Amino acid sequence: MSGLEEIEKTDPRLGNERLKRYIREKVNHLLSVMGTKPLSREELDDNTLLELDPIGIIALSFEQILEHQKDTNERLTVAKDQLQAVFDAVGVCISIIDEDMRIVNCNEKQKEMLVSANTEVIGRHCYEIYCGKDSPSLDCPAVETLATGRPVFIREVKKKNKHFQIVTSPMKDAEGRVTGAIEVSMDVTEKKKAEELMRQAEKLTAIGLLAGGIAHELNNPLGNILGYATLLLKDGESGLGPGQKEKLEIIVEQAKKGSEIIRGLLDFSRQSVPAFQDILINDIIMKTVRTLQNRLACQGIKVDTALADGLIVRADPRKIELVFLNLMLNSIQAFEGMDRKGKAISVRAVREGGLIQVKVADNGPGIPEDILSNIFDPFFTTKPVGKGAGLGLSICSGVIREHKGSIHAASEPGKGTEFTVSLPAGVKG
Amino acid sequence: MRQAAEDIVLDIRGQICPACLMITLRELNSNKEKLKNEKARLVVKTDHRDATRTIPSAAFAMGYRVSVLQRDKYYEIAMEYEK
Repeated sequence: MSGLEEIEKTDPRLGNERLKRYIREKVNHLLSVMGTKPLSREELDDNTLLELDPIGIIALSFEQILEHQKDTNERLTVAKDQLQAVFDAVGVCISIIDEDMRIVNCNEKQKEMLVSANTEVIGRHCYEIYCGKDSPSLDCPAVETLATGRPVFIREVKKKNKHFQIVTSPMKDAEGRVTGAIEVSMDVTEKKKAEELMRQAEKLTAIGLLAGGIAHELNNPLGNILGYATLLLKDGESGLGPGQKEKLEIIVEQAKKGSEIIRGLLDFSRQSVPAFQDILINDIIMKTVRTLQNRLACQGIKVDTALADGLIVRADPRKIELVFLNLMLNSIQAFEGMDRKGKAISVRAVREGGLIQVKVADNGPGIPEDILSNIFDPFFTTKPVGKGAGLGLSICSGVIREHKGSIHAASEPGKGTEFTVSLPAGVKG
Repeated sequence: MRQAAEDIVLDIRGQICPACLMITLRELNSNKEKLKNEKARLVVKTDHRDATRTIPSAAFAMGYRVSVLQRDKYYEIAMEYEK
């Protein structure tokens, strides 16, 4: 039996008093929770208090408060989920960083672009996670926004070999103090590549026109030089002194070199229309290998071929031969001056879906990464003056483009270079 | 928010807190369904200034949108459920 029950049993009047005091005390406590002052006896006497049932009223009110909070929580959860879905679905990277440049939150696109799998990002420095650095870059727009409290509009920044256009906006507290920044960035790497290709194509067109014109104009006088020098050599065989004959031979040799360069320029400017036909790519490759057999043997270079059977491409055989000749000559020239054993060139040809893929690889010195993107540029060469005009690979690139194919180079300095030529398969290819 | 069809008017002029709050809460509870379905709004007339603080604060916590208007010699506190 409780104390209250015991009092009620012995003195009911005393029990009622305690009960009313208890109700008044609890009501006042609840009223203080509701933010209002306690009940006074003058305001509500005991009978009115009991009639009003304040505990019942407050209990029902709390029920409404709880219902409202539950409802609000549910709506907040839905809104949060919707916001998160939008946050993750937008095609741009979004990151929220604090004033110490630590990541507070980032969306899925951001992770996909710049974060390695299974890497925890929250709380880590953004420059460490996104840029792979131990301090922010000088041109970092977030640094500027955090320092000035002002947004930075569209700045192009390179992160982990990708190009981004970035906009940063400040986050401020009620007093206007900068507490962080929101960084929105868009990957423009592909766009930049496309622009570069466009510039390259325009440059090639201009150079092609110029080179074609010059080559055409030079061809006639050079032909005359070569012709007359050859005639002089033939006619004057008996009357020429040893010095004169030697000089004439140099003229013929140099004129021939000039002709080769002109032929290259004409090929580069593609003034000759390709004669397409269905050809077996293996025949072209083997013909090229045979053409270079002596040079390969002289330099001790072994050629390995792994060619799948029956690979047919629709192509101009003369032009495609020129491509493989240039690629293999490139490899041979790369070995020049290398005193080592095991020099090898491998040629592999396979069918990959609707494409015929030929890989020409060597284990030569490789191409430094910084010039790899320039090797298909016309007149780009690393060879000494007189050893090459820098047209070979640009001719290859032009021919392959003309055949609606593609050519790529991969290289690792010290280990070698691999060129991959892809051409659309022919009827039975 | 659409306009509620009916005004439930509670005139508690002459009463002071916390009775004002108690009576208002009792009305909010007893008319809960009507108010929550936006069929009615509760309009309280009070001349007790303190009630313009305590009533809106409690009603807001319960999910009601509250507006307080000062009339000639009293205040009018209107409460509508906010969905």
